[in-house]
Amino acid sequence: MSYKIPMGPYHPGLEEPYKLDMICEGETVVDAELNIGFNFRGIEHLAETRNYVQVIALMERVCGICSFIHTLTLCQAMEKLTGLEAPPRAQYIRVVMAELERLHSHVLWAGIAAKLMGFKTMFMTCFALREKVMDVLQAISGNRVNYSMNHVGGVNRDIEDPIALVPMIDELEREMMRTVIPIFTTSSTARSRCAGIGVLTHEKAISCAVVGPTARASGIPQDLRRDAPYAAYAEMKFEVPVEQAGDVRARLFVRALEIIESCHILRQALAKMAPGEISSAGEKLVFVSGTATSRVEAPRGEVMYSVTWKENSRNPARVHVRTPTFANMPAVRWMVRGARLADTPLIQASIDPCYSCTDR
Amino acid sequence: MIALETIREKLGVSEPWVESRGTHWLNPGAANIRDVTQAMNAAGARFVTITAHELPGDAGLRLEYHWDLQGWLLGVPFQIAGKSPESAKIDSIYDLCEAADWIEREVHEGFAIDFTGRVYEPLLLRAGDKPGVNLREAPVQDNPAPGLQGQKEVAK
Repeated sequence: MSYKIPMGPYHPGLEEPYKLDMICEGETVVDAELNIGFNFRGIEHLAETRNYVQVIALMERVCGICSFIHTLTLCQAMEKLTGLEAPPRAQYIRVVMAELERLHSHVLWAGIAAKLMGFKTMFMTCFALREKVMDVLQAISGNRVNYSMNHVGGVNRDIEDPIALVPMIDELEREMMRTVIPIFTTSSTARSRCAGIGVLTHEKAISCAVVGPTARASGIPQDLRRDAPYAAYAEMKFEVPVEQAGDVRARLFVRALEIIESCHILRQALAKMAPGEISSAGEKLVFVSGTATSRVEAPRGEVMYSVTWKENSRNPARVHVRTPTFANMPAVRWMVRGARLADTPLIQASIDPCYSCTDR
Repeated sequence: MIALETIREKLGVSEPWVESRGTHWLNPGAANIRDVTQAMNAAGARFVTITAHELPGDAGLRLEYHWDLQGWLLGVPFQIAGKSPESAKIDSIYDLCEAADWIEREVHEGFAIDFTGRVYEPLLLRAGDKPGVNLREAPVQDNPAPGLQGQKEVAK
């Protein structure tokens, strides 16, 4: 006999509200239904009531973790409508900030995953590492979460001594290689909680059009930084980690390897950072009528903005945001099918969901 | 790019793809959205999203369907009539493209567009609310209930 277990909107593993109604037989989940919208703020509507300066601050608040990525994507779209292009130094600073945000996001996720595995020592280790990344983000931007770094045509703050950041990157990579990755890959606790759990097959991953580490852990080698480079990514050399198993462990591996790749990209960006201006924006922006799109590879996957402007207007006519969790979340239904009930919090967390992004 | 031309030929479209501000656009001509979806599936394109726009005056609504093909963002626009919910209709592609499920539901909620051939309950983002009160310029119903008038009117 089957029965229904509602999980959420106050969630056992995650800070944000959403609800998963699971149909169970015994301890096994046979189906699930997802309910979102608890964080709906009407941001796309609000964007139409904000001018071209205010809308950047608004969209920075779509997501607390990927706040830089959202303003980067928005500003890239707005730059296409104004004919402005960020100077080379600003493009490098955008790469540095985007990769620091990826490090911060992936290490945060690793900590939460460790906690859900019942591995609280690792949680503390990951959060200590994350704190070091946050310190660098704060040193560059003056802020720990919403960085206010982007504007149309460039960035707001320079990195005055890029090479001074390299020791932090070295230390972070050393700690990941010495502690976090070996424990996640060899510990019997991590293996027993993650291997073969929450499998998203390659075929289902294609069918659901999942993005980011969730896709790469199911054998889909997609990454916009390589496939459709933006900012200064065309000048960076890096690998795109791909795993085939499609389980929680594969998602963990992909993110761990991406941390190492992010460190490589950061070193290159800091070493090659071109001298010069950080902004090409003048006093007043002039928008042409039309729609522009922009996509960026956020820590959780592809973010897309579609921005429409009417000539001589101060406000956008339409801003549509497609966030990575919006693409990945429906796949959770397939991941939890056949899983033990006790594994479902970790399975849900394994896509690194963000509900403020999803609901907007 | 060969795949783009294959899609265009498969749909019987004579106009070429046009790149504009980040997207490669194809005017679908007589092809409908289900034809386009099948052509994209055959080409191995990944569905990305649908962006809806309300057009000025009585011009109706514009739906922009986006796919990714090897890092290229493809866009196919469709214009549909419709200030009223009865006329704002387009075929659902959910049965051909599972990934379109949530975005069809979201566009239905925001713009009161009927994606024919599917059901919407329960609502995705605003359970209990009525479709079309969030992103439409004006309410879709003739006599909106108190508190349900178009939100843009309130904001202005």
